[in-house]
Amino acid sequence: MSLTSLDPRVTRLNLPEGEAPAIEPKPELDQFETYEVFHQKKEGAAYTYVGPVHAPNEEVAFLFAKEQYSRRAACTGMWIARTEHIQVTPYAGDGENVYDMVRAQDPTEQSEQPEPYEIFHLKKRGKAHTHAGRVMATSYQEALQEARNQYGDKGPIVNVWVVMSKHVLQSAEEDKDMWTTIPEKKYREAIAYKVMDKITKYKEEHKTTAS
Amino acid sequence: MYGGGNVFEATKFDDLQTEDPVKLAEFEARIARGEKIEPNDWMPQLYRKQLIRMIEQHAHSEIIGALPEGTWITRAPGFRRKMAQMAKVQDEVGHAQLLYSAAETLGKTREQMLTDLINGKSKYSNVFNYPAFTWADSNIISWLIDAGAIVNQMANAKGSYGPYSRALERICAEEAFHLKYGHDAVVHMATGTPKQREMIQAALNRWWPPIMTFFGPSDKMSTHTETLMRWKVKMASNDECRQQFLDMYVPKIWELGLTVPDPNLKKNMETGQWEYTEPDWDEFKRVINGDGPCNAERLAVRRTAEERGAWVRRALLNPKAKYVRPLA
Repeated sequence: MSLTSLDPRVTRLNLPEGEAPAIEPKPELDQFETYEVFHQKKEGAAYTYVGPVHAPNEEVAFLFAKEQYSRRAACTGMWIARTEHIQVTPYAGDGENVYDMVRAQDPTEQSEQPEPYEIFHLKKRGKAHTHAGRVMATSYQEALQEARNQYGDKGPIVNVWVVMSKHVLQSAEEDKDMWTTIPEKKYREAIAYKVMDKITKYKEEHKTTAS
Repeated sequence: MYGGGNVFEATKFDDLQTEDPVKLAEFEARIARGEKIEPNDWMPQLYRKQLIRMIEQHAHSEIIGALPEGTWITRAPGFRRKMAQMAKVQDEVGHAQLLYSAAETLGKTREQMLTDLINGKSKYSNVFNYPAFTWADSNIISWLIDAGAIVNQMANAKGSYGPYSRALERICAEEAFHLKYGHDAVVHMATGTPKQREMIQAALNRWWPPIMTFFGPSDKMSTHTETLMRWKVKMASNDECRQQFLDMYVPKIWELGLTVPDPNLKKNMETGQWEYTEPDWDEFKRVINGDGPCNAERLAVRRTAEERGAWVRRALLNPKAKYVRPLA
Protein backbone atom coordinates (compact mmCIF):
# COMPACT_ATOMS: atom_id res chain seq x y z
CA MET A 1 0.00 0.00 0.00
CA SER A 2 1.29 3.42 -0.81
CA LEU A 3 0.44 6.54 1.11
CA THR A 4 -2.78 8.32 0.14
CA SER A 5 -2.78 12.01 0.93
CA LEU A 6 -5.23 14.90 0.73
CA ASP A 7 -2.55 16.43 -1.48
CA PRO A 8 -2.66 14.75 -4.91
CA ARG A 9 0.98 15.69 -5.46
CA VAL A 10 1.94 13.63 -2.40
CA THR A 11 -0.22 10.67 -3.44
CA ARG A 12 1.57 10.64 -6.81
CA LEU A 13 4.93 10.17 -5.04
CA ASN A 14 3.95 6.54 -4.25
CA LEU A 15 5.46 6.69 -0.79
CA PRO A 16 5.47 3.50 1.26
CA GLU A 17 3.11 3.59 4.22
CA GLY A 18 4.19 2.97 7.77
CA GLU A 19 7.33 3.53 9.78
CA ALA A 20 10.49 4.27 7.82
CA PRO A 21 13.89 3.27 9.20
CA ALA A 22 16.09 6.13 10.38
CA ILE A 23 18.27 7.72 7.70
CA GLU A 24 22.02 7.74 7.91
CA PRO A 25 23.34 11.13 9.00
CA LYS A 26 23.66 13.35 5.93
CA PRO A 27 27.25 13.54 4.74
CA GLU A 28 29.25 16.72 5.14
CA LEU A 29 28.62 19.26 2.34
CA ASP A 30 25.39 17.52 1.30
CA GLN A 31 23.98 21.05 1.55
CA PHE A 32 27.02 22.63 -0.13
CA GLU A 33 29.15 25.59 0.83
CA THR A 34 27.88 28.93 2.01
CA TYR A 35 28.00 32.30 0.28
CA GLU A 36 27.24 35.70 1.76
CA VAL A 37 24.86 38.00 -0.10
CA PHE A 38 24.76 41.81 -0.32
CA HIS A 39 22.05 43.78 -2.04
CA GLN A 40 21.55 47.31 -3.25
CA LYS A 41 18.15 48.58 -2.21
CA LYS A 42 18.00 51.45 -4.67
CA GLU A 43 20.22 53.11 -7.27
CA GLY A 44 23.27 54.70 -5.68
CA ALA A 45 22.75 53.15 -2.24
CA ALA A 46 25.60 51.25 -0.56
CA TYR A 47 25.49 47.46 -0.84
CA THR A 48 24.20 45.93 2.39
CA TYR A 49 24.43 42.43 3.80
CA VAL A 50 21.21 40.44 3.57
CA GLY A 51 22.23 36.92 4.59
CA PRO A 52 23.78 33.64 3.45
CA VAL A 53 22.83 31.02 0.86
CA HIS A 54 24.02 27.45 0.36
CA ALA A 55 25.05 26.59 -3.20
CA PRO A 56 27.35 24.29 -5.20
CA ASN A 57 29.01 27.13 -7.13
CA GLU A 58 29.03 30.88 -7.64
CA GLU A 59 26.49 30.93 -10.48
CA VAL A 60 23.93 28.87 -8.61
CA ALA A 61 24.62 30.91 -5.47
CA PHE A 62 23.73 34.02 -7.45
CA LEU A 63 20.45 32.49 -8.66
CA PHE A 64 19.53 31.32 -5.15
CA ALA A 65 20.44 34.73 -3.73
CA LYS A 66 18.29 36.49 -6.31
CA GLU A 67 15.38 34.22 -5.45
CA GLN A 68 15.85 34.44 -1.70
CA TYR A 69 16.69 38.11 -1.22
CA SER A 70 15.27 40.05 -4.16
CA ARG A 71 12.00 38.16 -4.75
CA ARG A 72 10.02 40.13 -2.20
CA ALA A 73 11.94 43.36 -1.74
CA ALA A 74 13.17 46.23 -3.86
CA CYS A 75 16.62 45.50 -5.26
CA THR A 76 18.75 47.12 -7.95
CA GLY A 77 21.89 45.03 -7.67
CA MET A 78 23.43 42.06 -5.88
CA TRP A 79 26.90 40.91 -4.84
CA ILE A 80 27.86 37.50 -3.54
CA ALA A 81 31.09 36.18 -2.02
CA ARG A 82 32.03 32.76 -0.76
CA THR A 83 32.02 32.85 3.06
CA GLU A 84 35.50 31.34 3.09
CA HIS A 85 36.87 34.40 1.25
CA ILE A 86 35.68 36.95 3.78
CA GLN A 87 38.05 37.94 6.59
CA VAL A 88 36.35 39.07 9.78
CA THR A 89 37.75 41.27 12.56
CA PRO A 90 36.77 40.76 16.20
CA TYR A 91 33.49 42.39 17.28
CA ALA A 92 33.63 45.56 19.39
CA GLY A 93 30.82 46.72 21.64
CA ASP A 94 28.18 49.16 20.46
CA GLY A 95 29.56 52.72 20.35
CA GLU A 96 33.16 51.52 20.10
CA ASN A 97 35.44 51.54 17.08
CA VAL A 98 36.94 48.16 16.27
CA TYR A 99 39.79 49.84 14.35
CA ASP A 100 41.08 51.06 17.72
CA MET A 101 41.31 47.45 18.89
CA VAL A 102 42.97 45.71 15.95
CA ARG A 103 46.72 45.92 15.76
CA ALA A 104 48.59 45.91 12.47
CA GLN A 105 49.47 42.31 11.61
CA ASP A 106 52.00 40.83 9.26
CA PRO A 107 50.44 39.55 6.04
CA THR A 108 49.90 35.81 5.80
CA GLU A 109 49.79 35.93 2.02
CA GLN A 110 50.91 38.79 -0.17
CA SER A 111 50.45 39.65 -3.85
CA GLU A 112 53.20 41.35 -5.87
CA GLN A 113 50.96 44.12 -7.13
CA PRO A 114 48.27 45.92 -5.09
CA GLU A 115 44.81 44.49 -5.73
CA PRO A 116 41.36 45.84 -4.92
CA TYR A 117 39.59 44.75 -1.71
CA GLU A 118 36.01 45.51 -0.66
CA ILE A 119 35.43 46.78 2.89
CA PHE A 120 32.18 46.30 4.83
CA HIS A 121 31.36 47.94 8.17
CA LEU A 122 28.88 46.95 10.86
CA LYS A 123 27.86 50.11 12.72
CA LYS A 124 25.74 48.52 15.41
CA ARG A 125 25.30 44.96 16.64
CA GLY A 126 22.19 43.31 15.19
CA LYS A 127 22.24 45.56 12.12
CA ALA A 128 23.71 44.59 8.74
CA HIS A 129 27.21 45.11 7.32
CA THR A 130 27.31 47.89 4.73
CA HIS A 131 29.84 48.54 1.99
CA ALA A 132 32.24 51.29 3.10
CA GLY A 133 34.40 51.32 -0.01
CA ARG A 134 37.24 49.77 -1.94
CA VAL A 135 40.94 49.89 -1.08
CA MET A 136 44.08 48.78 -2.90
CA ALA A 137 46.44 46.49 -0.99
CA THR A 138 48.77 43.53 -1.36
CA SER A 139 47.19 41.52 1.50
CA TYR A 140 44.13 41.27 3.71
CA GLN A 141 46.11 42.76 6.59
CA GLU A 142 47.25 45.72 4.53
CA ALA A 143 43.69 46.18 3.20
CA LEU A 144 42.43 46.43 6.77
CA GLN A 145 45.04 49.08 7.61
CA GLU A 146 44.14 50.97 4.43
CA ALA A 147 40.46 50.77 5.36
CA ARG A 148 41.29 52.16 8.78
CA ASN A 149 43.14 55.10 7.21
CA GLN A 150 40.39 55.84 4.72
CA TYR A 151 37.16 55.02 6.54
CA GLY A 152 38.16 54.32 10.13
CA ASP A 153 37.08 57.61 11.65
CA LYS A 154 33.44 57.53 10.51
CA GLY A 155 31.70 56.98 13.83
CA PRO A 156 31.36 53.73 15.73
CA ILE A 157 32.33 50.63 13.79
CA VAL A 158 31.65 47.34 15.55
CA ASN A 159 33.02 44.92 12.98
CA VAL A 160 34.77 44.88 9.60
CA TRP A 161 34.62 42.37 6.75
CA VAL A 162 37.38 42.40 4.12
CA VAL A 163 37.13 40.50 0.83
CA MET A 164 39.19 40.64 -2.35
CA SER A 165 37.17 42.27 -5.13
CA LYS A 166 37.96 39.41 -7.48
CA HIS A 167 36.12 37.07 -5.11
CA VAL A 168 32.92 39.10 -5.27
CA LEU A 169 30.49 38.20 -8.04
CA GLN A 170 28.64 41.38 -8.90
CA SER A 171 25.48 41.74 -10.95
CA ALA A 172 26.18 43.63 -14.17
CA GLU A 173 24.97 47.09 -15.04
CA GLU A 174 23.58 45.89 -18.39
CA ASP A 175 21.47 43.23 -16.66
CA LYS A 176 19.60 45.82 -14.60
CA ASP A 177 16.19 44.86 -15.99
CA MET A 178 16.39 41.51 -14.16
CA TRP A 179 15.49 43.38 -10.96
CA THR A 180 12.26 44.83 -12.29
CA THR A 181 9.17 43.25 -10.77
CA ILE A 182 6.19 43.03 -13.07
CA PRO A 183 3.11 44.86 -11.77
CA GLU A 184 0.93 41.73 -12.09
CA LYS A 185 2.57 40.38 -8.94
CA LYS A 186 0.59 42.64 -6.62
CA TYR A 187 -1.22 39.54 -5.30
CA ARG A 188 1.74 38.92 -3.00
CA GLU A 189 1.61 42.36 -1.39
CA ALA A 190 -0.43 42.99 1.75
CA ILE A 191 -1.77 46.16 0.17
CA ALA A 192 -3.58 44.17 -2.54
CA TYR A 193 -6.01 42.78 0.05
CA LYS A 194 -8.74 45.14 1.12
CA VAL A 195 -11.23 43.31 3.30
CA MET A 196 -12.85 46.11 5.25
CA ASP A 197 -15.48 46.85 2.56
CA LYS A 198 -16.67 43.24 2.60
CA ILE A 199 -16.73 43.14 6.40
CA THR A 200 -18.65 46.42 6.69
CA LYS A 201 -21.18 45.32 4.08
CA TYR A 202 -21.63 42.00 5.84
CA LYS A 203 -22.13 43.67 9.22
CA GLU A 204 -24.71 46.08 7.82
CA GLU A 205 -26.65 43.26 6.24
CA HIS A 206 -26.52 41.04 9.30
CA LYS A 207 -26.40 43.58 12.13
CA THR A 208 -23.72 41.60 13.92
CA THR A 209 -21.79 43.47 16.53
CA ALA A 210 -18.12 43.03 17.10
CA SER A 211 -17.71 42.61 20.80
CA MET B 1 4.87 30.99 9.98
CA TYR B 2 6.17 29.72 13.22
CA GLY B 3 5.30 26.95 15.55
CA GLY B 4 5.57 28.55 18.92
CA GLY B 5 5.19 26.75 22.18
CA ASN B 6 8.79 26.08 22.89
CA VAL B 7 9.03 23.94 25.92
CA PHE B 8 12.28 24.94 27.53
CA GLU B 9 13.24 21.91 29.49
CA ALA B 10 16.34 21.67 31.56
CA THR B 11 19.49 20.48 29.82
CA LYS B 12 22.67 19.16 31.24
CA PHE B 13 24.28 22.49 30.41
CA ASP B 14 21.90 24.11 32.82
CA ASP B 15 24.52 24.52 35.44
CA LEU B 16 25.96 28.01 35.10
CA GLN B 17 28.53 27.17 37.79
CA THR B 18 30.74 25.69 35.10
CA GLU B 19 30.84 28.96 33.11
CA ASP B 20 33.65 31.49 33.45
CA PRO B 21 32.16 34.06 35.88
CA VAL B 22 33.97 37.06 34.36
CA LYS B 23 32.87 36.22 30.82
CA LEU B 24 29.35 35.45 32.00
CA ALA B 25 29.13 38.84 33.72
CA GLU B 26 30.33 40.62 30.57
CA PHE B 27 27.84 38.69 28.46
CA GLU B 28 24.96 39.52 30.77
CA ALA B 29 25.99 43.18 30.97
CA ARG B 30 26.02 43.41 27.18
CA ILE B 31 22.46 42.07 26.97
CA ALA B 32 21.34 44.31 29.84
CA ARG B 33 22.68 47.32 27.90
CA GLY B 34 20.45 46.29 25.00
CA GLU B 35 23.29 45.16 22.74
CA LYS B 36 22.90 42.15 20.47
CA ILE B 37 25.08 39.06 20.68
CA GLU B 38 26.90 38.16 17.45
CA PRO B 39 28.15 34.69 16.42
CA ASN B 40 31.79 35.06 17.44
CA ASP B 41 31.04 36.39 20.92
CA TRP B 42 31.59 34.26 23.96
CA MET B 43 28.26 32.83 25.14
CA PRO B 44 27.18 30.36 27.84
CA GLN B 45 26.50 26.79 26.70
CA LEU B 46 22.90 27.09 27.81
CA TYR B 47 22.37 30.16 25.61
CA ARG B 48 23.86 28.46 22.57
CA LYS B 49 22.01 25.22 23.15
CA GLN B 50 18.58 26.79 23.65
CA LEU B 51 18.94 29.12 20.69
CA ILE B 52 19.96 26.30 18.35
CA ARG B 53 16.97 24.31 19.55
CA MET B 54 14.56 27.20 19.17
CA ILE B 55 15.77 28.48 15.78
CA GLU B 56 16.03 24.94 14.41
CA GLN B 57 12.45 24.12 15.48
CA HIS B 58 11.35 27.37 13.91
CA ALA B 59 13.08 26.47 10.62
CA HIS B 60 11.55 22.98 10.59
CA SER B 61 8.11 24.52 11.25
CA GLU B 62 8.47 26.70 8.18
CA ILE B 63 9.47 23.89 5.88
CA ILE B 64 6.86 21.44 7.22
CA GLY B 65 4.25 24.21 7.51
CA ALA B 66 4.43 24.63 3.74
CA LEU B 67 2.91 21.15 3.33
CA PRO B 68 -0.67 21.57 4.68
CA GLU B 69 -1.11 24.76 2.66
CA GLY B 70 0.60 23.26 -0.37
CA THR B 71 -2.12 20.60 -0.26
CA TRP B 72 -4.54 22.99 -1.97
CA ILE B 73 -2.29 24.65 -4.56
CA THR B 74 -3.43 22.32 -7.33
CA ARG B 75 -7.11 22.97 -6.57
CA ALA B 76 -7.12 26.60 -5.47
CA PRO B 77 -10.32 28.30 -6.65
CA GLY B 78 -9.09 30.58 -9.41
CA PHE B 79 -5.74 31.52 -10.89
CA ARG B 80 -5.08 34.54 -8.70
CA ARG B 81 -5.58 32.51 -5.53
CA LYS B 82 -3.37 29.76 -6.91
CA MET B 83 -0.59 32.28 -7.58
CA ALA B 84 -1.00 33.87 -4.14
CA GLN B 85 -1.02 30.46 -2.40
CA MET B 86 2.15 29.49 -4.26
CA ALA B 87 3.83 32.77 -3.36
CA LYS B 88 2.97 32.20 0.30
CA VAL B 89 4.25 28.63 0.31
CA GLN B 90 7.45 29.78 -1.39
CA ASP B 91 7.88 32.44 1.30
CA GLU B 92 7.60 29.80 4.01
CA VAL B 93 10.30 27.66 2.43
CA GLY B 94 12.47 30.78 2.08
CA HIS B 95 11.97 31.47 5.78
CA ALA B 96 13.28 28.00 6.54
CA GLN B 97 16.46 28.78 4.58
CA LEU B 98 17.01 32.01 6.53
CA LEU B 99 16.44 30.28 9.85
CA TYR B 100 18.63 27.25 9.13
CA SER B 101 21.43 29.70 8.36
CA ALA B 102 20.84 31.63 11.60
CA ALA B 103 21.02 28.35 13.57
CA GLU B 104 24.16 27.36 11.66
CA THR B 105 26.02 30.41 12.94
CA LEU B 106 25.76 28.76 16.38
CA GLY B 107 27.53 25.63 15.22
CA LYS B 108 24.96 23.06 14.10
CA THR B 109 25.17 22.31 10.37
CA ARG B 110 22.19 22.22 8.05
CA GLU B 111 22.99 18.55 7.35
CA GLN B 112 22.67 17.74 11.06
CA MET B 113 19.42 19.68 11.37
CA LEU B 114 17.81 17.98 8.36
CA THR B 115 18.92 14.57 9.59
CA ASP B 116 17.40 15.26 13.01
CA LEU B 117 14.15 16.47 11.43
CA ILE B 118 13.72 13.36 9.26
CA ASN B 119 14.63 11.01 12.09
CA GLY B 120 12.15 12.69 14.42
CA LYS B 121 14.83 13.90 16.82
CA SER B 122 13.98 17.58 16.31
CA LYS B 123 10.44 18.85 16.53
CA TYR B 124 8.42 21.30 14.52
CA SER B 125 5.19 23.07 15.33
CA ASN B 126 2.62 20.51 16.34
CA VAL B 127 -0.25 22.14 14.41
CA PHE B 128 1.23 20.96 11.12
CA ASN B 129 0.55 17.37 12.10
CA TYR B 130 -3.13 18.08 11.37
CA PRO B 131 -4.63 17.82 7.88
CA ALA B 132 -6.10 20.55 5.68
CA PHE B 133 -9.31 18.76 4.68
CA THR B 134 -10.71 21.52 2.49
CA TRP B 135 -9.72 24.81 0.88
CA ALA B 136 -11.32 26.47 3.90
CA ASP B 137 -8.87 24.69 6.24
CA SER B 138 -6.05 26.14 4.22
CA ASN B 139 -7.62 29.62 4.63
CA ILE B 140 -7.84 29.20 8.40
CA ILE B 141 -4.18 28.19 8.49
CA SER B 142 -3.17 31.18 6.32
CA TRP B 143 -4.99 33.55 8.60
CA LEU B 144 -4.92 32.28 12.16
CA ILE B 145 -1.80 30.11 12.28
CA ASP B 146 0.14 32.90 10.62
CA ALA B 147 -1.43 35.36 13.06
CA GLY B 148 -0.17 33.24 15.95
CA ALA B 149 3.21 33.00 14.29
CA ILE B 150 3.44 36.75 13.97
CA VAL B 151 2.69 37.26 17.67
CA ASN B 152 5.58 34.92 18.41
CA GLN B 153 7.97 36.26 15.82
CA MET B 154 7.46 39.92 16.68
CA ALA B 155 8.39 39.08 20.26
CA ASN B 156 11.40 37.00 19.26
CA ALA B 157 12.69 39.65 16.83
CA LYS B 158 13.51 41.74 19.90
CA GLY B 159 15.63 38.91 21.30
CA SER B 160 19.33 39.20 21.94
CA TYR B 161 20.83 37.06 19.16
CA GLY B 162 21.79 39.16 16.12
CA PRO B 163 21.42 36.60 13.30
CA TYR B 164 18.00 35.44 14.56
CA SER B 165 16.75 39.02 14.86
CA ARG B 166 17.94 39.86 11.36
CA ALA B 167 16.20 36.80 9.91
CA LEU B 168 12.99 37.55 11.82
CA GLU B 169 12.82 41.13 10.61
CA ARG B 170 12.89 39.89 7.04
CA ILE B 171 10.34 37.18 7.84
CA CYS B 172 7.91 39.52 9.62
CA ALA B 173 7.87 41.85 6.60
CA GLU B 174 6.76 38.97 4.39
CA GLU B 175 4.23 37.69 6.91
CA ALA B 176 2.26 40.93 6.56
CA PHE B 177 1.12 39.67 3.16
CA HIS B 178 0.29 36.22 4.55
CA LEU B 179 -1.93 37.62 7.24
CA LYS B 180 -3.86 39.90 4.88
CA TYR B 181 -4.15 37.18 2.29
CA GLY B 182 -5.46 34.71 4.88
CA HIS B 183 -7.90 37.21 6.35
CA ASP B 184 -9.18 38.11 2.88
CA ALA B 185 -9.72 34.43 2.05
CA VAL B 186 -11.63 33.79 5.29
CA VAL B 187 -13.74 36.94 4.87
CA HIS B 188 -14.57 35.90 1.31
CA MET B 189 -15.90 32.54 2.54
CA ALA B 190 -17.63 33.93 5.62
CA THR B 191 -19.48 36.60 3.65
CA GLY B 192 -20.26 34.27 0.76
CA THR B 193 -22.93 31.65 0.13
CA PRO B 194 -24.42 29.54 2.96
CA LYS B 195 -22.29 26.62 1.75
CA GLN B 196 -19.12 28.73 1.92
CA ARG B 197 -19.99 29.91 5.43
CA GLU B 198 -20.62 26.35 6.49
CA MET B 199 -17.23 25.29 5.11
CA ILE B 200 -15.29 28.04 6.87
CA GLN B 201 -17.10 27.42 10.18
CA ALA B 202 -16.33 23.70 9.92
CA ALA B 203 -12.67 24.46 9.25
CA LEU B 204 -12.54 26.85 12.21
CA ASN B 205 -14.07 24.14 14.41
CA ARG B 206 -11.40 21.66 13.31
CA TRP B 207 -8.50 24.09 13.74
CA TRP B 208 -9.46 25.84 16.98
CA PRO B 209 -8.16 23.12 19.35
CA PRO B 210 -4.74 22.94 17.63
CA ILE B 211 -4.60 26.76 17.51
CA MET B 212 -5.13 26.93 21.27
CA THR B 213 -2.12 24.66 21.79
CA PHE B 214 -0.01 26.63 19.31
CA PHE B 215 1.79 28.68 21.96
CA GLY B 216 2.50 25.66 24.13
CA PRO B 217 1.48 24.83 27.71
CA SER B 218 1.76 27.39 30.51
CA ASP B 219 5.40 27.92 31.38
CA LYS B 220 6.65 26.53 34.60
CA MET B 221 8.36 29.52 36.10
CA SER B 222 11.67 28.01 37.06
CA THR B 223 15.01 29.72 37.54
CA HIS B 224 15.80 28.25 34.14
CA THR B 225 12.98 30.24 32.49
CA GLU B 226 14.03 33.37 34.37
CA THR B 227 17.59 32.98 33.08
CA LEU B 228 16.40 32.61 29.48
CA MET B 229 14.19 35.66 29.84
CA ARG B 230 17.06 37.69 31.30
CA TRP B 231 19.21 36.65 28.36
CA LYS B 232 16.42 37.65 25.96
CA VAL B 233 16.13 34.18 24.47
CA LYS B 234 12.55 33.78 25.60
CA MET B 235 10.78 37.09 25.14
CA ALA B 236 7.28 36.37 26.41
CA SER B 237 5.59 33.55 28.25
CA ASN B 238 3.42 31.09 26.30
CA ASP B 239 0.34 32.37 28.12
CA GLU B 240 1.17 35.98 27.33
CA CYS B 241 1.41 35.12 23.63
CA ARG B 242 -1.88 33.19 23.77
CA GLN B 243 -3.66 36.09 25.50
CA GLN B 244 -2.32 38.57 22.96
CA PHE B 245 -3.48 36.35 20.10
CA LEU B 246 -6.99 36.01 21.58
CA ASP B 247 -7.17 39.75 22.16
CA MET B 248 -6.30 40.50 18.57
CA TYR B 249 -8.21 37.82 16.70
CA VAL B 250 -11.29 36.64 18.58
CA PRO B 251 -13.09 39.97 17.86
CA LYS B 252 -12.17 39.61 14.19
CA ILE B 253 -13.66 36.10 14.13
CA TRP B 254 -16.81 37.21 15.91
CA GLU B 255 -17.42 40.20 13.66
CA LEU B 256 -17.83 37.76 10.78
CA GLY B 257 -20.61 36.03 12.69
CA LEU B 258 -18.50 32.92 13.09
CA THR B 259 -18.59 30.89 16.28
CA VAL B 260 -15.50 29.92 18.22
CA PRO B 261 -16.08 26.30 19.26
CA ASP B 262 -15.41 26.86 22.96
CA PRO B 263 -18.47 27.71 25.12
CA ASN B 264 -16.15 28.89 27.91
CA LEU B 265 -14.28 31.44 25.84
CA LYS B 266 -14.82 34.94 27.17
CA LYS B 267 -12.81 37.91 28.28
CA ASN B 268 -12.91 38.54 31.99
CA MET B 269 -13.35 42.30 32.15
CA GLU B 270 -12.02 42.50 35.71
CA THR B 271 -8.76 40.73 35.06
CA GLY B 272 -8.50 41.69 31.38
CA GLN B 273 -7.62 38.06 30.69
CA TRP B 274 -9.31 35.62 28.36
CA GLU B 275 -10.85 32.54 29.95
CA TYR B 276 -11.10 29.36 27.93
CA THR B 277 -11.40 25.62 28.17
CA GLU B 278 -7.96 24.24 28.92
CA PRO B 279 -6.61 22.65 25.73
CA ASP B 280 -6.12 18.90 25.68
CA TRP B 281 -2.45 18.76 26.57
CA ASP B 282 -2.45 14.96 26.60
CA GLU B 283 -3.41 14.97 22.94
CA PHE B 284 -0.78 17.66 22.32
CA LYS B 285 1.90 15.44 23.87
CA ARG B 286 0.70 12.37 22.02
CA VAL B 287 0.72 14.14 18.65
CA ILE B 288 4.05 15.89 19.16
CA ASN B 289 5.56 12.52 19.99
CA GLY B 290 4.53 11.12 16.65
CA ASP B 291 0.98 9.88 17.00
CA GLY B 292 -0.90 12.56 15.06
CA PRO B 293 -2.94 12.28 11.88
CA CYS B 294 -0.17 13.57 9.57
CA ASN B 295 3.18 13.10 11.35
CA ALA B 296 4.20 10.12 9.22
CA GLU B 297 3.15 11.78 5.95
CA ARG B 298 4.92 15.07 6.70
CA LEU B 299 8.22 13.35 7.45
CA ALA B 300 7.86 10.91 4.56
CA VAL B 301 7.48 13.80 2.12
CA ARG B 302 10.53 15.57 3.53
CA ARG B 303 12.54 12.38 3.56
CA THR B 304 11.64 11.54 -0.03
CA ALA B 305 12.57 15.00 -1.24
CA GLU B 306 15.97 14.65 0.43
CA GLU B 307 16.55 11.09 -0.85
CA ARG B 308 15.43 11.66 -4.42
CA GLY B 309 17.47 14.86 -4.72
CA ALA B 310 20.63 13.37 -3.20
CA TRP B 311 22.18 12.31 -6.53
CA VAL B 312 21.74 15.80 -7.97
CA ARG B 313 23.48 17.34 -4.99
CA ARG B 314 26.29 14.78 -5.20
CA ALA B 315 26.74 15.46 -8.91
CA LEU B 316 26.93 19.22 -8.34
CA LEU B 317 29.29 19.11 -5.40
CA ASN B 318 32.63 20.75 -6.05
CA PRO B 319 35.30 18.30 -4.77
CA LYS B 320 37.34 21.24 -3.43
CA ALA B 321 34.42 22.64 -1.46
CA LYS B 322 35.07 23.43 2.18
CA TYR B 323 32.38 24.10 4.74
CA VAL B 324 32.55 27.43 6.56
CA ARG B 325 29.77 28.58 8.90
CA PRO B 326 27.75 31.52 7.63
CA LEU B 327 29.10 34.74 9.11
CA ALA B 328 26.01 36.42 10.45
